[in-house]
Amino acid sequence: MTQVLVTHADEPIGRRVVKNLYHDPDVEVIFALGSGPPPRKFDAYLAGSAPRVTYTRLDLAKHRPVHDLFHSAAFRAGEIDTVVYVPRHGAGTSVMAPLVGGLSERTAESRLLLQHCLETRTIRNLVAIGSAFVYRLPPGNANHLSEDSELNLDPSVMPEIRAWIDSDMIFHSEVHNDRLRVVLLRVPTVVAAGGYVYLHPSLAGRPGSRVRALGFDPICALVSDKDVARAVRAAIQTPVSGIFNIAGGEAVPLSMLARWTGHTSIPVPGALLGMVDATERLLGIESRLGAAGGEHLRYGFTLDTDRAASELGFRSQYRIGLARAGDGALRLETASV
Amino acid sequence: METPVSEIESPQAVEEIANPLPAPAGALGHDPFDDLAAPDRFEEQLDQLEARGKQKPEVRARARRAPKSKVTAASPTSARSMVRPATTRSDEHPPKPDNLARLTRRRWATTPPLAEIELPPPKGLVDRLLNSDERRILAALAHLVEGEAPYDRFGYSPEAMKTTFLLFHTLYRFYFRVRSEGHEHIPSEGPAVLAGNHGGLLPFDAAMAVIDGALHTDPPRLVRTVVDRWAGSLPWVNLFYARAGQIVGTRENFDKLLKEGQLLLVFPEGVEGMRKTIAHRYRLQEFRVGIIEHALRTRAPIIPVAFIGSDDQSPILFDIKPLARRLGIPVAPITPTFPWFGALGILPYPVSYRIIYGEPLRYHERFGPEGADDSRLVRYLANQVRRAVQLLIDRNRQ
Repeated sequence: MTQVLVTHADEPIGRRVVKNLYHDPDVEVIFALGSGPPPRKFDAYLAGSAPRVTYTRLDLAKHRPVHDLFHSAAFRAGEIDTVVYVPRHGAGTSVMAPLVGGLSERTAESRLLLQHCLETRTIRNLVAIGSAFVYRLPPGNANHLSEDSELNLDPSVMPEIRAWIDSDMIFHSEVHNDRLRVVLLRVPTVVAAGGYVYLHPSLAGRPGSRVRALGFDPICALVSDKDVARAVRAAIQTPVSGIFNIAGGEAVPLSMLARWTGHTSIPVPGALLGMVDATERLLGIESRLGAAGGEHLRYGFTLDTDRAASELGFRSQYRIGLARAGDGALRLETASV
Repeated sequence: METPVSEIESPQAVEEIANPLPAPAGALGHDPFDDLAAPDRFEEQLDQLEARGKQKPEVRARARRAPKSKVTAASPTSARSMVRPATTRSDEHPPKPDNLARLTRRRWATTPPLAEIELPPPKGLVDRLLNSDERRILAALAHLVEGEAPYDRFGYSPEAMKTTFLLFHTLYRFYFRVRSEGHEHIPSEGPAVLAGNHGGLLPFDAAMAVIDGALHTDPPRLVRTVVDRWAGSLPWVNLFYARAGQIVGTRENFDKLLKEGQLLLVFPEGVEGMRKTIAHRYRLQEFRVGIIEHALRTRAPIIPVAFIGSDDQSPILFDIKPLARRLGIPVAPITPTFPWFGALGILPYPVSYRIIYGEPLRYHERFGPEGADDSRLVRYLANQVRRAVQLLIDRNRQ
């Protein structure tokens, strides 16, 4: 039996992970962390005299609360042996967000979590969800990338992607640890029911206008949030460590994905993207481009998931596409196949 | 003194290329094996590789699974093998049956035979301009995209391909008047690499190969040209290439497509092929070795292809290399029409094209995937492929 701690459980991907683990008979206790109040969907999980799910509000980027949690009586009594790091997907890591100890929020969270996992004797497994946008994108509309592909260590990369890379490298550094099994899942753009898109550097957030490079329409690899939760479950159950790409079967151009998700994409000549970025910074708007002019707006990628298939036994089960909802509108949906 | 390629006795040369041994000194310029201090030892290594290549696949797979004595530094690759000693996956977690079936199944991207295609009524102007045979071919090629998705993972769009096919098939028939032979050497399914000579400022040789491959194979095969990274960074050009099924030449793209059993066209000369001046046309530059490594690893035959006409479509009088470097472009040419007629000057002349497919070189059968790790062997085989293409050109230009 496994006792699992899940971070950012109040956010959509975290909720999905908790739900998936809740229905796993091998998981005995779920210790859910979140920054906000518990989601309504957790009411059923939290009800009863001895619920399997415990929800705690916590700022994961701050040292003291995390330290207190890992040394609390409740945590010790739970004998947590597995930690699932689900990242925050919103604007928390934007340039406008406050830095924690000179680090972006995501980097600080990753560092603190890993440090406490290493220090806590009962924890044997750490499963972290990372982003596939950490890869250096070769020129081209779509390129296939494997786990061995080069990371984008260009200093001019946009802040959000830089935070992903930092977090990725922090977990990567302990992949060979003998005591703690570390599994890093690199996921592309995550699509959830209702047409919500997460973890895409330029499409995340509320529908609105987004710039894209004129003359480019990169292919975006997609994965359903349900598949991400299944991958987390597979990573917990399978005794392997390492880095795995997780992706679904679909890949669509950025313009189509923007249209599907209610965004308006505005083509801007490549030479002007840097100016748009500078203007956004001056106006105090969250930058989605970076000084490099947004390589992810020019070059697309798909992911090689053979390693996840062979070692984790994971393959995507959910198709992503437009479906007509009850009100007659076409919405992005995921469906099992 | 170097022996001109055309003076090589053709039957002997063809035999040597198909069953390679260390090349005779100076047969095609400098041979890297001339430098070998102990050629006998190298021949022994060749024999060992050959023997390994003839082992049954299961035996070879077992040999690959055997633990290696050297572990590489921290990397995702080594991370993959970071299995806990006490709980190896093979001991405690055997693959589930459905995963096992998926892993062992050889999944090749195939198209249905033309006779099995049932054509729907034409929709739109492009459908009406295409004849039924062309529509049948395009309908078959659309099966390369899984399910009902509008694009494949590399951006190939069957809808966009219709317009592209219509345009380039017209050029194929009336402008370049392409004649081709040797289609029987293209396998009907499974991975294969077409290796050809490259010429001209615009890659019409690749476009003609795409049309020719689709027209003369049944089930139709989509020739996916491996394009230079530079082309992938150009606005609209990258989109056009991707939607027509062409890919940027990265290691991962190459491996993935060959593992899917697709047909790739590479120009192993690289951009050097484009830079050839009129004095050096149809004289092949040094071949890059990447295709050999990938072909050996993925057990793909290499089919030499000669494009006759591509070097005549825009003959380069001079290449101003400093200017090209400054502008960040592969070539800054002076041709009889460029730059005198502006951008129109780079358009190809209406030369007659010939495409000749040679016999497949099945090096993977002789040397096996392990051969890809031997840099000297790979270089040697690259030279053999170059000889094969050069022979095809020399024979068919006469």
